[in-house]
Amino acid sequence: MKKRVLTVDDSRTIRNMLLVTLNNAGFETIQAEDGVEGLEVLEEANPDVIVTDINMPRLDGFGFIEGVRKNDRYRAVPILVLTTESDAEKKNRARQAGATGWIVKPFDPTKLIDAIERVTA
Amino acid sequence: MDMNEIKEIFFQECEEQLAELESGLLKLNDGDRDPETVNAVFRAVHSIKGGAGAFGLDDLVSFAHVFETTLDCVRSNRLDPGPEVLKVMLKSADVLADLTNAARDGGSVDEARSRQLIKELEALANGEVPQASAVAEPVAPVSKAAPVAVAPVVNDEGFQPVAFSFDDFETDEPASMEMPTYEIVFKPKSDLYAKGNDATLLLRDLSRLGEMSIHCDMDTLPSLDRLSPETAYFSWKVSLKTDKGEDAIRTVFEFAEWDCDLDVSLVSGETAPVGEELPMQPVPFDLSILDDEPVGPIGVIEEEEQLAAQQEIRNAAVAAAGTASNVLQMAQSAARAPAEKSAGAAASAAAQSAAAQQAAASAATPTIRVDLDRVDRLINLVGELVINQAMLSQSVVENDANGTSSINMGLEELQQLTREIQDSVMAIRAQPVKPVFQRMSRIVREIADMTGKSVRLITEGENTEVDKTVIDKLAEPLTHMIRNAVDHGLETPEKRLAAGKSAEGTVRLTAKHRSGRIVIELADDGAGINREKVRQKAIDNDLIAADANLSDEEIDNLIFHAGFSTADKISDISGRGVGMDVVKRSIQALGGRINISSKPGHGSVFTMSLPLTLAVLDGMVVTVANQTLVVPLTAIVETLQPEAAAIHSFGSNQRLISIRNSFCPLVDVGRILNFRASQANPVEGVALLVESEGGGQRALMVDAIQGQRQVVIKSLEANYTHVPGIAAATILGDGRVALILDVDTIVAASRGQSLKPEMSLAAAG
Amino acid sequence: MASKKTARKTLSLAPVLDLNEATTLHEKLLGLKGSDLTIDASAVERVGTLCVQVLMAGAKTWEEEHLSFTFSKVSDAFEKTTQLIGVDIDHLMAKEI
Repeated sequence: MKKRVLTVDDSRTIRNMLLVTLNNAGFETIQAEDGVEGLEVLEEANPDVIVTDINMPRLDGFGFIEGVRKNDRYRAVPILVLTTESDAEKKNRARQAGATGWIVKPFDPTKLIDAIERVTA
Repeated sequence: MDMNEIKEIFFQECEEQLAELESGLLKLNDGDRDPETVNAVFRAVHSIKGGAGAFGLDDLVSFAHVFETTLDCVRSNRLDPGPEVLKVMLKSADVLADLTNAARDGGSVDEARSRQLIKELEALANGEVPQASAVAEPVAPVSKAAPVAVAPVVNDEGFQPVAFSFDDFETDEPASMEMPTYEIVFKPKSDLYAKGNDATLLLRDLSRLGEMSIHCDMDTLPSLDRLSPETAYFSWKVSLKTDKGEDAIRTVFEFAEWDCDLDVSLVSGETAPVGEELPMQPVPFDLSILDDEPVGPIGVIEEEEQLAAQQEIRNAAVAAAGTASNVLQMAQSAARAPAEKSAGAAASAAAQSAAAQQAAASAATPTIRVDLDRVDRLINLVGELVINQAMLSQSVVENDANGTSSINMGLEELQQLTREIQDSVMAIRAQPVKPVFQRMSRIVREIADMTGKSVRLITEGENTEVDKTVIDKLAEPLTHMIRNAVDHGLETPEKRLAAGKSAEGTVRLTAKHRSGRIVIELADDGAGINREKVRQKAIDNDLIAADANLSDEEIDNLIFHAGFSTADKISDISGRGVGMDVVKRSIQALGGRINISSKPGHGSVFTMSLPLTLAVLDGMVVTVANQTLVVPLTAIVETLQPEAAAIHSFGSNQRLISIRNSFCPLVDVGRILNFRASQANPVEGVALLVESEGGGQRALMVDAIQGQRQVVIKSLEANYTHVPGIAAATILGDGRVALILDVDTIVAASRGQSLKPEMSLAAAG
Repeated sequence: MASKKTARKTLSLAPVLDLNEATTLHEKLLGLKGSDLTIDASAVERVGTLCVQVLMAGAKTWEEEHLSFTFSKVSDAFEKTTQLIGVDIDHLMAKEI
């Protein structure tokens, strides 16, 4: 059984890069375009790990993470924040919202896979 | 999909983001203070930066980064987006667009400009609000004397220099030396588990660094009754023998550092005891089991049927979700795949299900992306279908004289269906003129800067849709006209103030639909056309006779004649040698018309009327000197059967026709196209009363009307060569080629009494 | 084979023993208090620290009450993870008779 990754990002470019990178690494990838859609597809996606952007329309990454952590069934899923934000404040907010870890863009495939491996069994 | 394709997607996305950026900034410029507008602007730049970083487009990343930082100040209300701030931002958006284009096409950018803007953006971010300068001043030249060191403006870890480590080289050298041993004390907090992390994972990663012994401290673990299941009780003391260094150890805990107490210390010496009192368990290296996929179906014990049922549900859910996501993935790739001739039904079915799926997923934007090639191919095919249907109808009519058979009725339905299909297909390619209009705002900014004029561009009807092929060809003439309007139309601020106007000039760009065409108006509130000057120039250039009697309208329209320029000096801006005649020609090549009306002192209005599509045309099929021609229906006001009494001759061979108490010049199409040597007798033919945009009415004489039908336009230029007086060609139902008349050119040519004949027509039939 | 007395109960562990399962497992164990208990961990694919804590608290409580708390079968994953995090369950393994 492949590990399932839910990615949430509003950039088509990044979504595609994630899709290619994750599929090549043998993950099953489910994609959403913003936080609202991310929460909507959560059940269907049933992910082992979530990778999410922070800056998104409708519902940003912070709100999305909080939403996942409030979901009885999926609150234990590790969430990696994919972001260019480097300052401590943003990381702090993401952590407070319940992020497990982060990947700093521009990501290279190795870093991404490595981070996913680190938070999944 | 490979990286190149993703890169292509990235650039497509950049275009959208740049449009989003500009329209957001313009909204802010208009006083919009909706936080969502600011957010959207920020996201646009942020998103470009993110993608650019992934492709190593460093110039783009650095600029976007500085831009983003400044926008972040606006977002967090640390910087008020006043007019001066927005001016810098709009220019920055332009530079960002240039950088994006350069990254895609390999062109170069104005580095001085982008350096200058980086400085200005940084100044804004540092709270230095620029002083409102008097009316637009020409761009400040960048100081050449002190080149700005631009490189290290940014220090995001994204593009930090790579830390070079010698560790790798040293590793095997001291192989015989003892390997460092570290003692790690690790006390997770409950939060660590709440955030989806787990000590097991951290310890697993730690064990991969070297040889590990571990002691788990369970002292705080209460009895079951008092245990709170989500509280962290365990803590660990680890001894790790590794050559990877302390940083590697800390990296393992990178995600956990805030949610645990961690102490890492180097215990030198291979055999350094780690507290004798601690019973250390050596941990085997084979940890592969942790990565292994779960094995096979799981054995179930009777008592635990509940658990088993849960598992089954879970499995089923996983499987179901798997299928759904496959569809989604397939759909995504199908929708994004480049047009492949062989893609066929499967792909389109997938694309359809994609559309359905995505529409369901996000009701907000139920759209799909389709490669333009596919749409073009479909439109071509439908065009052929229209021709084919016409040919079929014709041959049925020819072979079925009484015309009562059910075949005829079926054909009518077919005709209607074909028409509907065609309309629907054309609607796919229809797009709002917004992107073109948005480009114009940049043009205005640039020329305003160059000329020292202050200009406000107002756009209306941006969402008016027109065929993409028209949009693509609209930008160039429009750009030229905008430049012309700012450069020649508007006065300098001083002159405007002197004339009692506001210092800031206004250029208004409007699009709307009118009777099956799109009408684009460009109005300025400048000085208007100086008719005396135009007239004199036309006489000087031998365009008109010195005593020619021209209406104001006709004088205004003289500016569309070749080589006509009224500006006293040739400015760089409107472009050397490119006059309004070129604009007119390109509009005409689109099957459009252009005219100008001007009010001295109040400005000019250019009106362009364009077909909504370049693919089809409703036309009247007529016979002229045994040739079949098509006259665009939109040009025809009415058709008349001239009576001898209504025809009046004057001059050598000019004739007028009286229509309801007014006279209208009669133009023999056959003569003017050189189809015949002498004028035909008007009474034997039919007159088509046509109206050219601003050019007044003319009665075009043809021999007979064959009928009215929709024709598929085939470019003459593409297939043959440009023929004056002829707009394009088409294929009729009987398979013959017919020429489509360029009414405006014919009307213009008919003004022979005052204009030099601009056509020397070869018989092109 | 573990000896089976009438009073002895068996608890089969879920395949995934994560954050969510910790509470469930805790409640199940509380419900089984007072009986000798055999834990079947053969289906476990993944076990997190929290569940190990619950199990160890159980073992401690059972010991305090002088009841038997043993693992009958354990999956590789279960054994490897407990070993990795330094939790010794050897003494809790059911002895072959």
